[in-house]
Amino acid sequence: MAAALASRLTKGRSLLGGLTNAFSGLVSSSSGSILSQQQRTFIQMGTRLKVVDNSGAKEVMCIQSLRGKKGARLGDIVICSVKESATKVDVKKGKDAIQKGKVKKGSVVYGVVVRAAMQKGRVDGSQVRFDDNAVVILGIKEKKTDEKGKEKKQNYKGGFNQPLGTRVFGPVPHEMRLKKQLKILSLAQHLV
Amino acid sequence: MATSSHLLLPQALHMIPRIPSKNLGVSSLIPSVNSRISLSRVSLNHSSSNVGFAIGSRKRREFIAKAEESSTVGEDTEAVPEDVAETVEDNEVEEAKTPWKPRTKLGDVMGILNQKAIEVSEKVRPVPEIRTGDIVEIKLEVPENRRRLSIYKGIVMSRQNAGIHTTIRIRRIIAGIGVEIVFPLYSPNIKEIKVVSHRKVRRARLYYLRDKLPRLSTFK
Repeated sequence: MAAALASRLTKGRSLLGGLTNAFSGLVSSSSGSILSQQQRTFIQMGTRLKVVDNSGAKEVMCIQSLRGKKGARLGDIVICSVKESATKVDVKKGKDAIQKGKVKKGSVVYGVVVRAAMQKGRVDGSQVRFDDNAVVILGIKEKKTDEKGKEKKQNYKGGFNQPLGTRVFGPVPHEMRLKKQLKILSLAQHLV
Repeated sequence: MATSSHLLLPQALHMIPRIPSKNLGVSSLIPSVNSRISLSRVSLNHSSSNVGFAIGSRKRREFIAKAEESSTVGEDTEAVPEDVAETVEDNEVEEAKTPWKPRTKLGDVMGILNQKAIEVSEKVRPVPEIRTGDIVEIKLEVPENRRRLSIYKGIVMSRQNAGIHTTIRIRRIIAGIGVEIVFPLYSPNIKEIKVVSHRKVRRARLYYLRDKLPRLSTFK
């Protein structure tokens, strides 16, 4: 039994789960019991996120979080690399139309996290969490040097307020208002 | 209070050798002394010195009574009223002390504060009894929204009791995605809570709903 415990010591979380069996009700607040669920954490380098607008990308991987040392949370902006984009076969006309040739696989984009599996606290004491991680793409990051070899000016200081796509799918939290993403709020199907 | 009990033991150990007498009166004093000490750390030193004094004086008085008794049989009657006088004195002294209210112990303070806060909140808006498995509808006023009350419907996944910050966790599938929101029950932002129906569950926390089909968390 000591050996089993010792082997468990290497994993920080399970040790806590094993020892604080009786106190798990007190220790784990609203983030789900530590024993059965994984602790949801930040969005960091390597996190795969779903894209919920019609900008052309489908799945994206975070390569940098522009806010927070540990990673991004709900409402923060991240730099991502597109891993999977919509193929040519997909919708081209109508409301759902994918913006033609906007975002391709391998391009580096800025996105704002609209849904996070990690709970976000609000000022009135409530907390909200979603079942998945999702971004809305705001802009494409251009390469530093031009084709000719000159350095291009980076323009992300101004802040991103306009999403690249024209539609947003799924629920969107109120945090977007605080983050000045009003366009996304207006496009949203459902406000949480 | 763990630290105070830590301090308590050396005090108790220190006191015992000072009471070598076999007087029942003195030994019966000890439990009351202990209870008085457990009250607060601040008064610890204060009370111990008091106790020492009290025991010393008690001893002296009892010793005097004994001496008086042992001197002559004839003076028994005098000894007895002396004893009685002493006990009467003691009673009077104690009565002068006791008519104050029962002291609120430090450990009860948070409980009392929480109860008071809940009472205040219940006056404004009574909270129905909510248990895990209820399907509730909550009308929330969001200062950001400003227009209408937002409505949140869903199944209560868990209820965490913590005095005024008692929270319930509501789960619902919104626009295809599962959303869980934790609401503090006694929040002034919540304008109305209504229990719509109830689902039989055999658990206090329904975290298993996260892995199940979305159909089980959908509520029209």
